[in-house]
Amino acid sequence: MAHSLSHLATAMSISHHDALKHFAVRISRLLMLRRAVQWLTVWCFIWGAITLAVRMAGFHQTYWLGLGIFVALPAIIFAALQARREIPAFAKIRASYDQHNACGGVMMANEAANTDAWFAQLAPASVPDLRWQSARALWLLLVAAGFAATALLLPERLTHLAQRHLEINQIVEQLKAEVQTLTQEKIVDDKKSEDLQKQLAQVEKDSSAYDPNKTWEALDHIKQANSDSAKEAAEEAIKKTESLTQAETLAKAMEMAAENGMEPATAAQAAQDLAALLNAAKLEEGVLNGKIPPELLQNLSSLQGLNQEQMAQLMKALAANKGILSNTMSNLSNLKMIDAAALAKMQAAGEKSKSNCEGLALYLSQCKGGGKCDSDILFSWLKKRSRGGPGGGGPEAPMDWDNDTSEANLKFQEHALPPSSHMNDAQIVGVSKVAPELAKADVSAEHGSLENAAAGGGSAHAQMILPEHRHAVQKFFKRDGK
Amino acid sequence: MSDTILKPDELAPAAELVRKTLEQLDRILLGRKELHRLVLIGVLSRGHVLLEGLPGLGKTALVRTIGQIMKLDFKRIQFTPDLMPGDVLGSHILQETATGKRELVFQPGPVFTNILLADEINRASPKTQSAMLETMQENSVTLLGTTRPLPQPFFVLASQNPIELEGTYPLPEAQLDRFLFRVMFDNVDADVLTQIISERRRGELPAPTWQMEREQLEMLFATMGKIYLPNPVARYIARLVTATHPGGPEATEPVNKYVSYGASPRAAIAIAEAARGNALVSGRPSVGFEDVKIVAQAVLNHRLILNYQARFDRMTPSKLVGELLAQLDETGLNLPKDVAVAKAN
Repeated sequence: MAHSLSHLATAMSISHHDALKHFAVRISRLLMLRRAVQWLTVWCFIWGAITLAVRMAGFHQTYWLGLGIFVALPAIIFAALQARREIPAFAKIRASYDQHNACGGVMMANEAANTDAWFAQLAPASVPDLRWQSARALWLLLVAAGFAATALLLPERLTHLAQRHLEINQIVEQLKAEVQTLTQEKIVDDKKSEDLQKQLAQVEKDSSAYDPNKTWEALDHIKQANSDSAKEAAEEAIKKTESLTQAETLAKAMEMAAENGMEPATAAQAAQDLAALLNAAKLEEGVLNGKIPPELLQNLSSLQGLNQEQMAQLMKALAANKGILSNTMSNLSNLKMIDAAALAKMQAAGEKSKSNCEGLALYLSQCKGGGKCDSDILFSWLKKRSRGGPGGGGPEAPMDWDNDTSEANLKFQEHALPPSSHMNDAQIVGVSKVAPELAKADVSAEHGSLENAAAGGGSAHAQMILPEHRHAVQKFFKRDGK
Repeated sequence: MSDTILKPDELAPAAELVRKTLEQLDRILLGRKELHRLVLIGVLSRGHVLLEGLPGLGKTALVRTIGQIMKLDFKRIQFTPDLMPGDVLGSHILQETATGKRELVFQPGPVFTNILLADEINRASPKTQSAMLETMQENSVTLLGTTRPLPQPFFVLASQNPIELEGTYPLPEAQLDRFLFRVMFDNVDADVLTQIISERRRGELPAPTWQMEREQLEMLFATMGKIYLPNPVARYIARLVTATHPGGPEATEPVNKYVSYGASPRAAIAIAEAARGNALVSGRPSVGFEDVKIVAQAVLNHRLILNYQARFDRMTPSKLVGELLAQLDETGLNLPKDVAVAKAN
């Protein structure tokens, strides 16, 4: 383009004065452009750095950073003002023009007087070309603009490296559900529930990829607290369910025994035992408190017992309590707060044994005379867990060491022993059916150094021969000839 | 100040005289156009010229021809070791007058001339060489307390043989500085030599067909005084001379390395005058940067005193001045390094 202007000036035969002016303007413009590129480059770097810093600081509404592009205009104006100070004096520009056009000082002499008369003898005017090695400056501007654009358009997930949250939403939601379940089931009180909820919210807020261990530890702590509460509740539920099941079994047995003619004294005794059983269960205490109508418990404790209708109410109340506990355990299990073993234990505790019930009913109906109905036996029936064979067997019998089992007419079962492995290499010479013969008298074993040796004599180890063995040893070493 | 710039019609007569002079020189002495131009510039600048070259290259012929063209008195001194100052300047001799009275009468030496050819000037003793100092600088001779001006114009065109150093006395720096130019006489090429052989029987030079009158020479000198030296060019000359001093702000790396002493202010004056002369020879009313570049070598190459390192590295003043001229920005635009004015085609 510079060349074309130069040739255009030549072709149009402009005067040296005009060409000089064009040259001065061209120098000014180029210097301004150069400064503008420099300042734009600097601004783009600053703009990009600010944008990046703001976005990394965690600001989300960063669209206003795009307004930085309007700062380019003041930067250009500032560059122009700065370039004005760099523009050489007009005398120097004229000197440069004079030299470029080989004017021989005629143009420079124009500062002292009008030398237009000499212009006819000079070469045609041409505006000198300016060469700006702009590749580096433009490349830097491109890089700076790219940096600024990248800083503006960078995805948010990449700009929040320092403040980046851990992906713990799912875990937090699960823990919140656990806390909510524990609260609903009255396993944790409202205050503790509120504390746990606050802790979860704080952990979620403070969670950072910069230091994930802290977050994980906090989550583990809350999870452990929930798990401990759930396990504690599960153990309590299992115990209470066991008690309720025993009470249910006893009540059912009492109904059956009553139909079989259970004595009133036995019924009263059983009712008292049932009341004692329910009182010992302490249903109303603990985190999972159940409730048995108090008038029923009162009637059970008194001598009058329960009528059939009251017994049905009691059975219904026991079943309802068991149902509540079972639901609680199911909820905890659904959230995996208790393991499968605990749930199975709970289910086992809630199962009534029909055989136990029938056996206990039989026992109750057979208890005659009032005092023969032993509470211990009754409870042992209730605690009996084995299903046993037909009838389920009786209650666990007390250990007795006095009556030995008679061994009369007992015969051990005969078994053929397996052949010895040493017989494999043996050869049968014959089978003797007579008693083995004793060795001849003149044949005696020679024992060398052991002959006449006293026990322990001559050996390193002094073997003590006990009196009970002494005779056998002496008999073994006895020599007929001596 | 506006009347200091010559108009084309004012400069034209002087330019015509210069053109005719160069034409005569080129016609009489073959193959040395640039040298003729340079010597003429030296004459127009009223400077003394030291011609350095081997014998037989036409130094004397050049000086004699200039004298003939300009109708100037010409004398020659062959410098030898036993040449005395009186042999150059002149001396008082005892003469008897008509009344029989004896008195000392001054007998002018050969220096009382317009053009003095000091042949092999470096063969004279320092005492005799120093006798030339006043004549070259003051254009006068002082003997026995009486100062006698030399005829004007007065030029010393000295020659010296650069290869025969035995029995010579190198010119002192003070005297070297008084020479406007030191011009090297090189051998001519074969074509020119062929032409010389063909056209110059027995070395006889043709007589000039045109001669300059004394008034015309005066007019030339007057025109020289009106050649305008623009400020940027004067500034360039000053920067150029300053740059020859080691440690100067614009001194190049070779200058710092090889130069012991740079050029004197007299050198700057000489460059300015010689540049004016070149502008006049070119027919221009003002001095341009190119005028400075043309004369700078001849002005500066005998004014730089180099150190021993330069001798070891075979560095010459001509090379140093050449590098200076190539590296120094004439206009002093001081554009940023990545911006430059493209060279003209």
